[in-house]
Amino acid sequence: MSTLAATSSRSSVGAWLAHPKVLVGGLLVLIFVCVAVFAPWLAPNDPNAQDLLATLLPPMWDEGGLAQYPLGTDSLGRCVFSRLIYGSRLALLVAVVAATGAMVLGTVLAIIAGYMGGMFDRVTSAIVVLWMAFPPVVFSMMLMVGLGTGVVNVILAVVLVDWTRFFRVVRAEVLVARHREYVYAAQLLGFSHVRIMLAEVLPSVAPLIITLFSLQMGVAIIVEALLSFVGLSVPSDVVAWGVMLADGRDQIYQAGWNLLAPVCGIIFAVLGFNLLSDGLRIVLDPRLKKRGSDA
Amino acid sequence: MSTVLEFNNVSVNVKVAGTEVALLRNVSFSVGQGRILGLVGESGAGKSMVGRVLSGLLPSNLRFASGEVRFQGNVLTGRDARAFLGRRIAFIPQEPLSALNPVLTIRQQMFEHLKHLKIPRAQWQSYSVARLAEVGLPEPEAMLLRYPHQLSGGQCQRILIAMAFSGDPELIVADEPTTALDVVTQAQIIRVLREVQRRHNTAVILVTHDLRMAAHVCDEVAVMYAGDVVERGPAATVLESPLHPYAWSLKNATPSLEGPQYVLPTLADLMPGLKDMAELKGCRFSRRCPTRDEVCARTVPVLEQIVDGHFVACAGNCRAQAGQRQPELHVLPEPSISAAQPLLEFREVSRVYQGRSKGTLFHALRPLSLTVRPGELVGVVGESGSGKSTVARLMVGLIEPSDGEVLINGLSRASATAAQQAEMRKVIQMVFQDPDSALNPRRTVERLVTQVLDLQPGITPQARREAAERLMNQVGIATDALHRFSSQLSGGQKQRVNIARALCMAPQLLVADEIVSGLDVSVQALIMNLLLTLNRELGIAVVLISHDLSVIRYLCHRVLVMREGYVVEQGDTEAVFSNPKHPYTRTLLASVPPDDANAVWPREVEVV
Repeated sequence: MSTLAATSSRSSVGAWLAHPKVLVGGLLVLIFVCVAVFAPWLAPNDPNAQDLLATLLPPMWDEGGLAQYPLGTDSLGRCVFSRLIYGSRLALLVAVVAATGAMVLGTVLAIIAGYMGGMFDRVTSAIVVLWMAFPPVVFSMMLMVGLGTGVVNVILAVVLVDWTRFFRVVRAEVLVARHREYVYAAQLLGFSHVRIMLAEVLPSVAPLIITLFSLQMGVAIIVEALLSFVGLSVPSDVVAWGVMLADGRDQIYQAGWNLLAPVCGIIFAVLGFNLLSDGLRIVLDPRLKKRGSDA
Repeated sequence: MSTVLEFNNVSVNVKVAGTEVALLRNVSFSVGQGRILGLVGESGAGKSMVGRVLSGLLPSNLRFASGEVRFQGNVLTGRDARAFLGRRIAFIPQEPLSALNPVLTIRQQMFEHLKHLKIPRAQWQSYSVARLAEVGLPEPEAMLLRYPHQLSGGQCQRILIAMAFSGDPELIVADEPTTALDVVTQAQIIRVLREVQRRHNTAVILVTHDLRMAAHVCDEVAVMYAGDVVERGPAATVLESPLHPYAWSLKNATPSLEGPQYVLPTLADLMPGLKDMAELKGCRFSRRCPTRDEVCARTVPVLEQIVDGHFVACAGNCRAQAGQRQPELHVLPEPSISAAQPLLEFREVSRVYQGRSKGTLFHALRPLSLTVRPGELVGVVGESGSGKSTVARLMVGLIEPSDGEVLINGLSRASATAAQQAEMRKVIQMVFQDPDSALNPRRTVERLVTQVLDLQPGITPQARREAAERLMNQVGIATDALHRFSSQLSGGQKQRVNIARALCMAPQLLVADEIVSGLDVSVQALIMNLLLTLNRELGIAVVLISHDLSVIRYLCHRVLVMREGYVVEQGDTEAVFSNPKHPYTRTLLASVPPDDANAVWPREVEVV
């Protein structure tokens, strides 16, 4: 029995992977990360190199396609495949950094508000309600107009729009955890509030935060693509899936693959994050876990 | 008298790691028309499995292995059972509040049920009113328009009883119908159930863990242990002279309300789980049996008639001695209360909460003065909502009094400096009610019990280990449990870890809020004896909050009876219990099933 206890925390990662959603989602995310990291080695061409003699080439398997451009070229003769690969880098950067930012901001405020209650809770909750009343897309576009274009500002816009999601969900969970008797017990033993929040409350909401984080990465990718699409995101020399979408929109009838490639990239990444998030929700929930192992 | 239901050697198996384990092993009993059969046992005994068989809703991984169930003389199949549900076989559930749909009125739920019973629509209203009146609900018309949350637990249970009886079924299965209710309500519900059952001459199976209650309510009882019926006989006889060692310990694990007090005898080990059951080839009780011998491990005991109508399943030598064997009972050791300065003192302490709407005040605790001296065991008893837990929380300082003063060792908590308050925390510690909520599931037992040492900088792992081992010894858990998580412990072990954590600071006073409720009686006895040891040997004073009068009488020197925020009676436990002054105390005492199986219970008592 004691060996079981000692190994249970270490073997849990293995147990997580046993769930098909975690496995498939994790695999998709892993591929996505690898593509982004190893982009210079994977891409056949420079994503910004223009070949004006070979514009709007179809994919290589179509008539008139060239093996040099596996997915064809866009209206400026740039390699769609290479741009697709390089576009994942920005998507990944925004996904990780923006989701982390939203998570940290939302969770810190949520734990303080949920644990302390009182005035701080009422004020922050009111702000969040007001904040969420803005349509998120319009709100992020407004922010981009105010902040100006650039990767840092895209991340900032996503964080400022989406931290409320973390706040709302995590606060509700903190309210439950806060009234568990072991929290009272820690209080009676004389631990400080900060210590109780970090050692007792945070671990009990951690599974939820991990789940939300994974979901948020998918959302961040979509928001980034959306802002790039309306031209409010990054300078035109930065490769982004949203920029590709915007470029491809004009030739949608002549060269549909220009549009289809970034769409597939977005679907692939977001599906991966969503599956992973849903799977993590199931494997990290002690109630569902118990029911699953009993059956 | 015709037999309504018969179980003939019924076995239900489940597959565990390739081998079939019998959850019910050759279970036989019968209930006649107008009779009440009590199925008595602790959790894991297989009582509820009988209900599962009768409802035709066996979980898919279980298999009806052998035997037959006869209902009104015909073999009952799972499909029949489901077709009979509500009409010929009805159930009364354990949790009345969760059994009713919170978003529908009683009327909607009652009518839905009558529709299922194929009662003509025109009669629904009059039928419902008549049935609700029958279970003693005042103003049944008004009651029909309410929602479940507007009713008390007792009222909900009455409605469920009315629903169960409204199809005029031949058999009713009541699965722990009163465990979720207060003692006073329990007695009322049992009385209602009995009255209605007699009027309709219905056969009832009452599933319960309370042997004493079963003895008073039922005609016959069957004591179950780990899927076996170990003893069966006329209810009064089984309580008076239990033959099986398990029935004996079940009877003696709950302290009595009258007569001399003895140290509760406790059973070693635990009710076997599924895996253990697979290994126990012979008598499943043998591991815990004080009189086992080598025969028990091999022979599967069979129910045999000892006296007229009194059956017992006990292999080997035990049976020969059955009846004469009365394990020794030890008289409780005397407490040592020092008359020194009180540890804790309440001076006119009260607590008021703001109601939902402005201006309404809820008085959780009316002004209360009391003192707890070193080494004293003080009991606080009352129904839910009486303010017991408020007293506990005020004592440890989880909430502040609205008025009045709390003094620890003669020092007011409100005016204490931070250093003094830290000192006060060492004096008083709390043991929480629900060990599942009180133990952080992410810490090992060692980290849990020594959590407070985190406050001391530079504590070595070795010192922590030593402290943890000392605490484990005090509460009686083997030290190999130190690396486990709370989910890997049994209910009793969790509660001990819970107590051990409070002991880590070496407090002089423990405030224990309902720490034995929700535990099986044999585990309850272990925890009570642990509190007794802590008090007698270490001189730790205990304030015990409980709704169970027998627990209070067993442990406490002094008792406070609470109701709606008021302390209605207080004094020496023996004096209060033998000569209650307040009518509410009398009602409370009368609600507890007495030891004497021939005494009338539940008695007609006016509700105050």
